[in-house]
Amino acid sequence: MIRQLRRRVEGLPGRLRGRVADSGERLTQGASDYRSRTADGAIAMHALVTVCVVATFALFLDGSQWTVVPVLGFLATLTVGWLRHQAEAAKALTFLTTVATVSILTLIVAFLLFRSEPIVRHMGLDLLTRTEAPLWTSNEGGVYSLAPMMVGTALTTVIATAIAAPLGVAGAVYVSEIASDRVREVVKPGIELMAGIPSITYGFIGLTIINQYFYAEFRTPTIGMYFSAGVVIGLMALPTVVTVAEDALSTVPESIKSGSLAMGSTQWQTTKSVTLPAGLSGVSAGVLLGVGRAMGETMAATVMLSHTKGFPSPVFDVFSNYGETLTTVIAFEGGNASGIHMSALFAGGVVLFGMVMVLSVASQYVEWRMHRKLGGDQQ
Amino acid sequence: MSNVRRSELSTATSATGELVATAVLGAAFLAFVASWLLIFQWVDETAVYVGIRVLDLLGGVLVVLGVGVAGVGVGSRLGYVDTTPSATAGATVGVVFGLLWAVLGGVLGTLVLGNAVLAWLPVAVVFGGLGLLASVLPREDVGSTVPVAVVLGLLGAAIGVGGLDAGWTWAPAWSSAVFPGSELVPLLVVFGSLLGAWSAAKARAGFGATGRQAGAFYLVRTMVFGMLGVLALLVGFIVVNGVDTMLTGAGLGGHLAVPVVGVTLPWVEFPFLLNDTGGLFVEIPGVLPAVVGTLWLVFGAVLFAVPLGVGTAVFLTEYAERERVTQIVEVATNGLWSTPSIVFGLFGLAFLVPRISGGNSIFVGQLVLGFMLLPLVLITSREAILAVPDDHRGASAALGVTKWETIRSVVVPAAMPGTITGVILGVGRIAGETAPLLLVFGGAPYPNSTPDVIGAFEFSAQPPFVTNDVLLSPASALPYQLYSTITAGVFPKDVFTNAEFGWGTALVLLLVVVGLYAVGVASRLYFRRRLHQ
Repeated sequence: MIRQLRRRVEGLPGRLRGRVADSGERLTQGASDYRSRTADGAIAMHALVTVCVVATFALFLDGSQWTVVPVLGFLATLTVGWLRHQAEAAKALTFLTTVATVSILTLIVAFLLFRSEPIVRHMGLDLLTRTEAPLWTSNEGGVYSLAPMMVGTALTTVIATAIAAPLGVAGAVYVSEIASDRVREVVKPGIELMAGIPSITYGFIGLTIINQYFYAEFRTPTIGMYFSAGVVIGLMALPTVVTVAEDALSTVPESIKSGSLAMGSTQWQTTKSVTLPAGLSGVSAGVLLGVGRAMGETMAATVMLSHTKGFPSPVFDVFSNYGETLTTVIAFEGGNASGIHMSALFAGGVVLFGMVMVLSVASQYVEWRMHRKLGGDQQ
Repeated sequence: MSNVRRSELSTATSATGELVATAVLGAAFLAFVASWLLIFQWVDETAVYVGIRVLDLLGGVLVVLGVGVAGVGVGSRLGYVDTTPSATAGATVGVVFGLLWAVLGGVLGTLVLGNAVLAWLPVAVVFGGLGLLASVLPREDVGSTVPVAVVLGLLGAAIGVGGLDAGWTWAPAWSSAVFPGSELVPLLVVFGSLLGAWSAAKARAGFGATGRQAGAFYLVRTMVFGMLGVLALLVGFIVVNGVDTMLTGAGLGGHLAVPVVGVTLPWVEFPFLLNDTGGLFVEIPGVLPAVVGTLWLVFGAVLFAVPLGVGTAVFLTEYAERERVTQIVEVATNGLWSTPSIVFGLFGLAFLVPRISGGNSIFVGQLVLGFMLLPLVLITSREAILAVPDDHRGASAALGVTKWETIRSVVVPAAMPGTITGVILGVGRIAGETAPLLLVFGGAPYPNSTPDVIGAFEFSAQPPFVTNDVLLSPASALPYQLYSTITAGVFPKDVFTNAEFGWGTALVLLLVVVGLYAVGVASRLYFRRRLHQ
């Protein structure tokens, strides 16, 4: 085992060198291919378009009023190019849109990090770990700790998952395995519709009905607490779980199911012991995505929580008067924050974004593994 | 075992068993529904039916459930009821019933020995073990009925004749809330009735593999229809509460003056949809500025996202040669899809606002919503393009048509239906989006004019040559209007209270979103049917 590893490490520089040489070769090959395949006019157009796009981006980033000039240049080049070399222009345009799509995510990451840098310098690691008062104040030179909000996000997410995961998986099993075709045509759009109801509407109902109910019947200290917000968020994350898990269950090949049924199993035995285990990675991907949705859910929580920052004691007391999550603090204070306060909100955004990305990548990985497994690509 | 069907020559005894189980199922369903009615406070918990208080009645039903379930189980064991049970109820049932008994033991231990962990925990563990053994060791017909029947019976007795009633409260030390019996008892009955129904459904199908299937299906169905019930409740609440506000002053008595001819025609009057929200001379405040704002937002977002999304999809499916490129774009797309909406708002605030308008504006709102729409458009149009059969491309190429011509006249038109459906569904989602609008878009809570974007274009010799002040100033949109109504406090007019205006706005928003969804789903069905013909 260790020897194998060492051989690998020793082999690395050589392989790396080989790879660099390979890619260099590919690059020159590609360049000469491009030269020979593309007309001179099209090459000129590609070059001009590239220059214009880069210039536009640079000027826009600078906030210059001259941004419009390269934009016009871009449009002019493209118009001429479209008339002369339509195929090349179209390909360039689709490539450009692809670059734009990827760069949007890159820009989001870059700007979140860039804007949260001041607060990290100001607070250090205390930004994430500080648990003693003051937690969030502009006094004393500005003290901002994200710890209570992270606890809040964790509490609402756990409650939401406890609701969304079992109900969502049950819904997926029902839609893909149990329901007759006619029932499915009603249930599935119904669940999709549930995903479409705007979050602020959920929040409004939560605020005027559910929060009031808890306040009146369970004598909670404030109108609004983690529990009710978590329940509503769970309902909102439910459709995501159902949709993704149902997709996963329906990709389980019919032949596997038929095999089980032919052995004399009941439909439920097949579902329980064949379909669910085979589609388990897809189902867990759905649950992970649902957790991500729950974590990022903003409006319902903003309207329903009390915006008091602190740690409930004990920490799982979800009925306490405290109520603030990473999303709600940004939505609630983002409108009129500035300076280091704003930077703290951006840092909250970074934490949130990071956690959701981890969940998203994990679910993609799990799903990819399942497709490989069911696709029969095993060696 | 599993494919053994019960003989059609069912004897009188098996009919009795089925009858009892059906009756238990019915009673459990009634108790389930009644408990929810109590929780929703549509029925008062002090109400009295047939001379018995409603909570005592529920307790009685639980006892009946327990007796019925145990009766069928024991009857089956003794051979009075004809069933096909397995040798054991299985691990799942064992774990569930074990946990149930552990809770029972914990409660009993606390009642008898006091509230110390050392006192009740051993009792709970012993009871849990007993429950587990009692459900796993005997044959299935006894194992899956008697343990739950005991719990149901005890619970029912505690509710019916014991101290567990509406006035009783539970105030645990770890919680800031106090749990009153009036709410807790219906919740317990909900759980009890579900458990009872699970066992009864099994018993009705004669235990064994078919029985377990019946029980599991029963539970899953209950969950799914509960979910749909919640959906119906949500929509119902909004419609019931909002319809009065929305229809205030509405009727057929309006007049429409045709400008050129000078004729007045009878017209629909709909002040809530057609009036400004603020302003001095508005009699019935409406949501017109928000509706117009939402339309502009959606229009701009579609204009931005659709070319980008479709272009990327075309590149990925038709041009991209290397796997790596596709992978990167896929990761980026999924990343954009799962990015929380508020993070998009932060990004707009940091990147777009200072460079475009210097403050909240319609234009930045359009772009940010466009970013959010982009992954949805990309994913659906890519799926649609991938679904175009390769034969089409091959046939086109065989005719000597170039690649780009093929894409333009064969692939994209064939993928259009899927793309359009995706765009409509995506629009339905972003039309209700609020969080980013708080940071980059929203203006006054009660606007007194609608944004006139088209009339505000101005041309000049100075760069940037075209300016539009309205596009660069804040406005209102339906979800934003609802949020600002919730947070703004007192409503400026006497006609509505804040809550009434909010319900009306919520209803209009819901109608817009549901309308878009209906159109999207209908177009999907339409195109799919046409494809399969």
